[in-house]
Amino acid sequence: MIAVLEGLRVSAFLAWKAIQRGSRGTLALTIMIIALIFVNLVFLPSIISGVVVTFDAQSIDFDLGNLVIEPREGSQYIDDVTGLQKKVEQIPGITGTSPRITAGVTYFYRGRNAASTLYGINPEDERSVTRIAEYMTAGEFLSNGDTDAIVMGVTLAGREGEEGGGLPSLEGVGVGDSVEVAYPNGETRTYRVKGLFETQSFGVDTAAFVTAREMEGVLGLRDQASIILVKTEENGREEEYKMEILSYGVQEEVRTFREKSGGFVDQAIQSFNIINAISTLVSLIIAIVVVFIVIFINTVNRRRQIGILKAIGIDQQIIINSYVLQVLFITAVGALVGIGLNAGVTTYLTAYPLVFPGGPVYPDVEASAILRSIASLFGVSVVAGYIPAWQIAREDILTAIRG
Amino acid sequence: MIVAENLTRVYTMGRVEVRALGGVSLEVAKGEFVGIMGASGSGKSTLLHILGLLDRPTSGAVTIDGTDVLALSDRRRTLFRLNRLGYVFQDYALIGELTALENVYLTSLVRGASKAEYLERSAEILRRVGLGDRMDHRQSELSGGEQQRVAIARALVNNPSILLADEPCANLDSQTSRSILDLFARLNEDLGQTIVMVSHEDWHKEYFCRIITLRDGLIDEMVECRREPHPG
Repeated sequence: MIAVLEGLRVSAFLAWKAIQRGSRGTLALTIMIIALIFVNLVFLPSIISGVVVTFDAQSIDFDLGNLVIEPREGSQYIDDVTGLQKKVEQIPGITGTSPRITAGVTYFYRGRNAASTLYGINPEDERSVTRIAEYMTAGEFLSNGDTDAIVMGVTLAGREGEEGGGLPSLEGVGVGDSVEVAYPNGETRTYRVKGLFETQSFGVDTAAFVTAREMEGVLGLRDQASIILVKTEENGREEEYKMEILSYGVQEEVRTFREKSGGFVDQAIQSFNIINAISTLVSLIIAIVVVFIVIFINTVNRRRQIGILKAIGIDQQIIINSYVLQVLFITAVGALVGIGLNAGVTTYLTAYPLVFPGGPVYPDVEASAILRSIASLFGVSVVAGYIPAWQIAREDILTAIRG
Repeated sequence: MIVAENLTRVYTMGRVEVRALGGVSLEVAKGEFVGIMGASGSGKSTLLHILGLLDRPTSGAVTIDGTDVLALSDRRRTLFRLNRLGYVFQDYALIGELTALENVYLTSLVRGASKAEYLERSAEILRRVGLGDRMDHRQSELSGGEQQRVAIARALVNNPSILLADEPCANLDSQTSRSILDLFARLNEDLGQTIVMVSHEDWHKEYFCRIITLRDGLIDEMVECRREPHPG
């Protein structure tokens, strides 16, 4: 053990002198390449993670809440909504419920039309679950007593002279305008636009809301809903709350927001993970090649020196270890620089986020991703550094000295 | 003490076999200063490489201080070179990234000496070879003679039982060469250092106790003590 430590002391001495007195330019370039590889290893997973975080937040805050209760199998609507709401709201940790009646409608405005979803809601209940009311860009959100008012997503409202680009758009609806709505049962109603909202979640911004009382009147419903959104005290424990709700004897379908999304996020994550795996593999191959070339050139240039070291009685393993330590130093500094660069990129993208269809995506750098990247970088670097050093160091002394 | 028996060394170059040593036997006693001389290609460097454990003979036996060094594993040969031998190369063979002092104490570091110990010992040896004021200079900042002195100091730092020198003055002018040879002679006379030196310069003979002349891989002549060997 002592001999090993003594050997490492000499390896460290040789490695440090080589770093200290070797080519600064080569050293800086190698460190920079390792740093950029590190950024690449961390960046993509952080964006993927950011997409998931964004999607989850958008789903919970604007679209579905944490959980949804849907009609029993074979039923179109949930009955006795008031009773069910009371039952669910008494569960500890449930902070709100919002029944919604959903209808696929066609909107008409100044000769233009767009097909989209219209929700009938109890505005106060909706405020206890979603945050749409906080994202009004014009006008106001609905009040419980409104019967002739509608609030509309900015995408559906559209802009004068701009087509929706595949999304439903009325091309310029403003607050105070009148919009005609054709319900699936053939009824038509005219509503005054009370407000416009923008959540940056395209599924929400292409929809509109009227009060449940109004919609019940049109569709002939009473204390019924298509869906009930449920808000919990904390995110991430949806499965536990789902079990809790079911244990209270709720007979309707209860699903987490992820389940309701129909595996869309999981599929997206899987696809992202494949891209990430390819990117990681390419990055690590580049790291292996760069470190291998640097150490190979280094050892070939120092072939004679390696021969001399062996001739004066320095063990081959000490020499190999000195190169491995150089690699560890380069990788450690490279990773540190990489962390710095990554912090810069993250800061920039937090200030100027990437905009995805689900909303703005902020990089979500997980500590585990950083640790995994550092570990894999160190792993491949040590292997890539060890092989050329071992190849040259095992050469016959006189052959090495003669170069 | 070195005992070499019937050493042969055959190199294969393609289909051609070159016999560098054809059966050399010799003994070097403790405290001797032996010169190995001969024309270029006579096998003197090959012999020194084998005695210095840098190469293996094709056949024969080498015993140094009672150890059959050819039976040692590569790792033990490395340790043997570290602890028992000092080797001075024709072209100094210093580590360019290290200062004179670092070059000298490197092998002491491997032996696990304490910092105070190896710094004191290395500095003392450098002072002894006349480089007390050049310790912090790197190879590129030293003259040929100074570099060779550093190489000698490095070879001596671990108190080797045998110092082997392969034409240490080949790249030096005659004045510098003489100062280097004086240094070897002093080491031999004052400290009883056993030295085996390869040389092809006729005037170097005056420094040796015994001269072994090689020709075509064989001992051609062995001239006994011109100088009295150190009592050992």
